[in-house]
Amino acid sequence: MASFAGVLLAGVLLGGIYSLVAIGLNLIFGVIRVVNFAQGEFVMLGMYATVVAYTLLHLDPYLGMLLVFPLLFVFGMAVQRFILQPLQNEPMMQIFATFGMLMLLQNVVLAVTGGTAVSIRTPASGLTIAVGPLQVSVARVVALLAVTVVAVGLQWALHTTMTGKAVRAVAQDRRAARLMGIDVERTYMLTFGFGAGLAGVAGALLTPIFTLTPQIGGNFILPAFAVVVLGGLGSVWGAYIGGFLIGLTEALAGFYLDPALKQAVWFAIFILVLVVRPTGLFGVVGAEEVGLRVQE
Amino acid sequence: MKRRVFLAGTMAAGLVTQARAANPIRIGAINPYSGGPALYGDETTRGYELAAAMRNASGGVLGRQIVIVRGNAATPQEGMAAVEQLSGTVDAFIGTFISAISDAASEAALNNDKLYWETNALATQLTARGLPNFIRSGPDSTDFARVSVQAITDVAAKSLGVAPKDLKVWVQHEDSIYGTTIGKDQVALLRKAGVQVIGPNPYSARSIDQTDIILRARNASPDVWLNTGYTADTNLMLRTARDQGFKPKAIVVTGSADTFETRDSLGKEYLEGILVATFPRADINPSYGPGGAEYLAAYRKAFNRDPIAPQNFTAYTGALILFDAIALAGATDHPKVRQAAATMDKPLGSYPNGFGVKFDDTMQNTRAKPIVGQWQNGVVVTVYPEPAVPLGGKLVALARS
Amino acid sequence: MSRSEAVSEVPAKAARVRCFTDELPLLAGVAAVLGGAVLLMAGDNFALNILATTFLMAGLATAWNVIGGFGGQFSLCHGVFFAEGAYLTANGVVHLGLSPWLSLAPAAVLGAVTALAISWPAFRLRGPFFAIATMTFSEVAYVLANYFDSVTGGAQGIRVPYHAGWLNMIFPGRIAYAWIMLGFLCCCLAASLLLLRSRLGYYLQAVRDNEAAAQASGIDVLRTKLLGFAISGGLTAIGGSVFMMYVRVVDPPTLLTLSDVGVRFALIALIGGVGTGYGPLLGALLVVPLEAWLRASVGAYVPGANLIVLGAVLVLAALFFRQGLAGALDRLLARRPGRRGAAAA
Repeated sequence: MASFAGVLLAGVLLGGIYSLVAIGLNLIFGVIRVVNFAQGEFVMLGMYATVVAYTLLHLDPYLGMLLVFPLLFVFGMAVQRFILQPLQNEPMMQIFATFGMLMLLQNVVLAVTGGTAVSIRTPASGLTIAVGPLQVSVARVVALLAVTVVAVGLQWALHTTMTGKAVRAVAQDRRAARLMGIDVERTYMLTFGFGAGLAGVAGALLTPIFTLTPQIGGNFILPAFAVVVLGGLGSVWGAYIGGFLIGLTEALAGFYLDPALKQAVWFAIFILVLVVRPTGLFGVVGAEEVGLRVQE
Repeated sequence: MKRRVFLAGTMAAGLVTQARAANPIRIGAINPYSGGPALYGDETTRGYELAAAMRNASGGVLGRQIVIVRGNAATPQEGMAAVEQLSGTVDAFIGTFISAISDAASEAALNNDKLYWETNALATQLTARGLPNFIRSGPDSTDFARVSVQAITDVAAKSLGVAPKDLKVWVQHEDSIYGTTIGKDQVALLRKAGVQVIGPNPYSARSIDQTDIILRARNASPDVWLNTGYTADTNLMLRTARDQGFKPKAIVVTGSADTFETRDSLGKEYLEGILVATFPRADINPSYGPGGAEYLAAYRKAFNRDPIAPQNFTAYTGALILFDAIALAGATDHPKVRQAAATMDKPLGSYPNGFGVKFDDTMQNTRAKPIVGQWQNGVVVTVYPEPAVPLGGKLVALARS
Repeated sequence: MSRSEAVSEVPAKAARVRCFTDELPLLAGVAAVLGGAVLLMAGDNFALNILATTFLMAGLATAWNVIGGFGGQFSLCHGVFFAEGAYLTANGVVHLGLSPWLSLAPAAVLGAVTALAISWPAFRLRGPFFAIATMTFSEVAYVLANYFDSVTGGAQGIRVPYHAGWLNMIFPGRIAYAWIMLGFLCCCLAASLLLLRSRLGYYLQAVRDNEAAAQASGIDVLRTKLLGFAISGGLTAIGGSVFMMYVRVVDPPTLLTLSDVGVRFALIALIGGVGTGYGPLLGALLVVPLEAWLRASVGAYVPGANLIVLGAVLVLAALFFRQGLAGALDRLLARRPGRRGAAAA
């Protein structure tokens, strides 16, 4: 029984990490409809930026986050403005460009660091608390709490602020939004910037947990895509809950079936859900119908 | 970084100018210099460059200078391409940090009638292929499995004061060729030694969470936890074990987690007492390996830092053995080098890191032994085999508090 | 997706639909030029190696282009078919002692059948969702290939021993492989052009350009997409078979790493000109030699430098060659009177 509880707990905490990475991706994917292959590399950049802030300025990652978010926000805006916006009507070329960025970013970091695996030890990284017979890693709990705060905050912002409403309007119907006087390009830039910033925050929060290599982004990106599609396009709660579904599936399959097969199990579930309900669990019906074609 | 590039550049440039003086021996170094394994690929080739520079300073081989030419290959297919590219201009090949690349590259070398001298790749099948141009101066994965099992049966059992048959060992490994081959051998060897084995338990090095396998291991309550992986996944594994309060009496890791990359991740307090099965290190006793200090000084002088990983020392030694084989053969073509190498008979301890030379029928060096080290106060100290233990070095307690 | 203009333009001028026989002279010319390149490079193993790889990647990108370009379905799971072909051939040689030549047709069938099985659920999705779903198929295949070692050799991979001979498709020199790869490329090009000028090809393009309109005009959309995917998958599997005999040792990372295999086919097609007959070939002619050169030059001394340059080239190509090289060439030729649309095929 204790081991079952332990596995559940591990799954929930892992789910928090998946949600954290997926939430920024979901924003970009849901609003701009770009398959951003480089999102994992944004997380990786966030991690390395956190390490730099930690080494040079002695900033704890949880404070460094406040520096990393604006940094990646601006970076994301620039990427949208100068790379993706010119390709607005060429969805395939957008995928192509984000893949080019993936290679570029990964290897720039490789060239700068020489590929050395980097870790930092912060007060949180080795800390655990005992809950009954279970041990809980504080850094993972912080990540879980943070993604909850981000999800609530994002949901609130999208539904109450003017900018948030504009983002939703653009996501629903770009042409109508433009007719309503919404600056679509500006909204896209803000959205992409925010999505990249959230990737940076995810990176900062995960730095105390992982050993960094330039390739680490690749380990996050595929589960994150699965979370987004599983949860449902453009639904903040979809990404949030989708993360936990994948996390729990992985932990349960890894513990009770075979660690070597755990990914195959959640892939299978993912594909099954898509067949039964292509919109994802929380997606708006019809959202998946938007193809790679031009909208306007 | 800039300094490194600069150094590598000047070294290469220096070698090139020297080489023009006489007809040099050119050796192509096949390794990955981009992608994930770039760091270790680069470190391996630096070992060759260092060995070449030192041998050149004392007159070279057969009166000729040695030039190392880099062939960049991150995949088997690129390994073939790199060999084809260099074949016209080099006399022999040396490599490789990754077995799969060695596999493809050495076949391409055979197609071009060139020697492929293997120093670092571990897969047993490389020599089992019986390629006439393939010689391995370093240990293979069975040697690694054997030494990691000795770390349990000879080192850990003694330190814990129990007989090997009373030990229960959890064996886990990452699921690519490297971890899989070692893991299978470990299970077989442990069973042969009468140890109770649970495993092998493969895991994916790309997975971002290893709690499930650690919980499985903890539930099995083994005395010894034996892990074979790469650096980043082993770090995550150790962190997860720490977080989950998994405290076996002894932890043995194979092939990684013996560098500052792991110390930075876990801190010296946690690592204290952990055993690592690894390539011989520069700290070995000079009576076991006579060139550790000299090698370390040369490395520091050339690169202005400490070696990143012991792979470099093994690559360096492997290159020195190659130079001796070429000198003995009086040529660089593979039938002559093979013939000469087959006659070499040097006892253990002949080379800087303690290697000797005696090739078996498949041209696998039978006198290339990995060692066991132990994390002690933030550094890895050689603790096995007995003669390799440095002066004043000794085993400390294995148990986790 | 403005590729359709070249297609719609021709009937207006020639008053009949361009058919496959019209494509034959150009195809023969291209094959002759590439064959000439092989002859020219005879004896230079390095160049032949690059040529062989270029032809292989060109063929695979052409195969991808059938569904990715003509059909507009951005598949990222072509590595699965590629791996199937390789494993089928390897098993045939190692366990049954069959000549690899005999495994080409079964490989194509296997690839096509798998493509049907995979795409039936996947075609419930569109656009980016389809791309992501296919991406996960590729990852599932990776995990399974690693796990079921009786068929794939698992992590240690599977190897075909060296016994040179025509029947074994194993040769001491590189030139034979260049010819084989050229043969594979020509098959892919011919199949692709035949399809492009067939009813199915026009259906595929109609579905790509406007699915609703295609459906309204009586095209069975799902059937069209499934057929296109099956043809594409079958050709890709043949590519996997010849690749197997070329390297003779494969493991899951070689066959199924998403960024090295599945995505690469798509990238080469995109850089060359997606949805065009010869675009994927142009893409491969640019990318493969460029990669080889970068890897050997800058890549050896600064870690990752070759991929930095390649990544930058991809971003710039996306920005400045939106119609790919074929599109750029097309525009260049269009400036000269009387040559309009010549390269649009």
